[in-house]
Amino acid sequence: MTPVHFTFSSAFMLGLTGLTFHRTHLLSALLCLEGMMLSLFVALSLWALQLSSISFSASPLLLLAFSACEASAGLALLVATARTHGSDRMQSLNLLQC
Amino acid sequence: MSPFILATLLFALGLGTMITFASSHWLLAWMGLEINTLAILPLMAQHHHPRAIEATTKYFIAQATAAAMLLFASATNAWLTGQWDIQLMTHPLPVTLITLALALKMGLAPMHSWLPEVIQGVDFTTGLVLSTWQKLAPFVLLLQLQPTNSTLLLALGTASTLVGGWGGLNQTQLRKILAYSSIAHLGWMTIVLQFSPSLALLTLIVYFTMTFSAFLMFKLNNSTNLNSLAISWTKAPVATALAPLVLLSLGGLPPLTGFMSKWLILQELTKQDLMPLATLLALSALLSLYFYLRLAYSLTLTVSPNTLIGTTPWRHPTSHLTLLLSTSTVATVFLLPITPAIVTLFSLLGT
Repeated sequence: MTPVHFTFSSAFMLGLTGLTFHRTHLLSALLCLEGMMLSLFVALSLWALQLSSISFSASPLLLLAFSACEASAGLALLVATARTHGSDRMQSLNLLQC
Repeated sequence: MSPFILATLLFALGLGTMITFASSHWLLAWMGLEINTLAILPLMAQHHHPRAIEATTKYFIAQATAAAMLLFASATNAWLTGQWDIQLMTHPLPVTLITLALALKMGLAPMHSWLPEVIQGVDFTTGLVLSTWQKLAPFVLLLQLQPTNSTLLLALGTASTLVGGWGGLNQTQLRKILAYSSIAHLGWMTIVLQFSPSLALLTLIVYFTMTFSAFLMFKLNNSTNLNSLAISWTKAPVATALAPLVLLSLGGLPPLTGFMSKWLILQELTKQDLMPLATLLALSALLSLYFYLRLAYSLTLTVSPNTLIGTTPWRHPTSHLTLLLSTSTVATVFLLPITPAIVTLFSLLGT
C-alpha cells in the first residue's frame, strides 16, 4: 500500500464513518458525502498523474462534475425537507418508519 | 409535471441503465448508476408532500453512499492491480467492497432497511419502477463480477430471504409488504448467482412479471393497506378473483409461474451439494407465503359491511388502462408449463 493509497483510503473511510455514525443533521450527511467524493477525486487525479495517462486525465473532471450534480440534488432535497418537515434534523424524518 | 420534463427524465432513467449495461470500465458503470439515480429523484419527489420528500431523501442518501463506495472500491482496485475492467477482477478486497456496495444499492439483507420505507413513501407507479427497473443495473454489474467470493453471496442471499420473510409478517401496508417480498426474491437470485447466472436472470425476469401484476392490481383497486383490500371486489370483481393467484404465484405455489424459479433454484442448490441451505430457503419461503396468504384472505374471503350503493362501483366504466395488467397477469399465472422453453432461452442468453 503506497502512502497516496493510504491517504485517500483513510480520508474516504473517515467520510463514510461520519456519514454512518453521526446522524443528527442532514447537512452533515451531505458534507460527509462531499468529502468522500473529494477523496475519490484525489485518488483519480493522482492515478492519472502517476501513470501520466492522457486518456484517463479527463476522468477526475467527470467525477467532479457528477459529484457537483449529486451535491446540488442533495441540497435541493435539503431545502425540500426543511420545507416539509420544518428542520433538517434526521430525527424528524420518521414518517415512514415500520 | 410537464410532459417534456417527464420524457427527459424517463429517457435519462433508461440511458443510465443502458450505459451501465454497455460499459466494461468501472468509471463508466458508475456514471450510468449516477445518471440513473439523478433521473429518478425528481420522479419520486414530484408530488410535494412530506412522505414523498422523506422517501426521496432516504433513497438519495443510500444510493449516493453505495455509488461512492463502488467508485472507491474501483479506485482501490486500480491502485492495487492497475486496471479498471469490470470483468477479471483479481484482488479479493475490491471485489468484496463492490459486492457490498451493490447489495446496498439493490437492498439486500443487512443493508435493506431503506427499501420498505422508500417504497412506502412513493406511489405505486414509482414504486414499481424502483422495485424492477432500478434493480437491473446493480444486478447486471453483480452478474459480471462472477465468479467471486461465494460465502459472502450465500450469506447475503440467505439473510435476504429470511429478513424478507420475517419483516413482512407484521406489516399491514401493501407497499411495505411488496418491498419485503422484493427483498426475499432478490435473496433467491443472489444465492443462485454464482452457480448459474442464466438461472438468476430467469428468476429476475419472472420476479419482474409477478411484481408488475401485483403492483398494477393494487393500483387498479387503489388500495394501500390491508383493510381497504376487503372492498376491492366492489371495484373490479374479475381482477379480485385473479389477485389471489398472482399473490400465490409471488409466494411460489406449484401450478403457477412463481414456482418455476424456486423449483429450479432448489434443484441447482441440490446439484451443488448444498442440502441444508436448500432446506433453509424452502422454509423461508413459507414465511413469505404466510403474508401472501393473508393478503389473499382479506382480498377474497372477507366481506366488509357496506351499503347497497357501495357495492356497485364496478358497474361504472373506469379510465384505467388494463391491457398491461391482463397481459402480465396471464404470464404470472400460466407460464409454468413452458418452463423447458424458458430455461433453454435463458441458457442461450447466458452464453
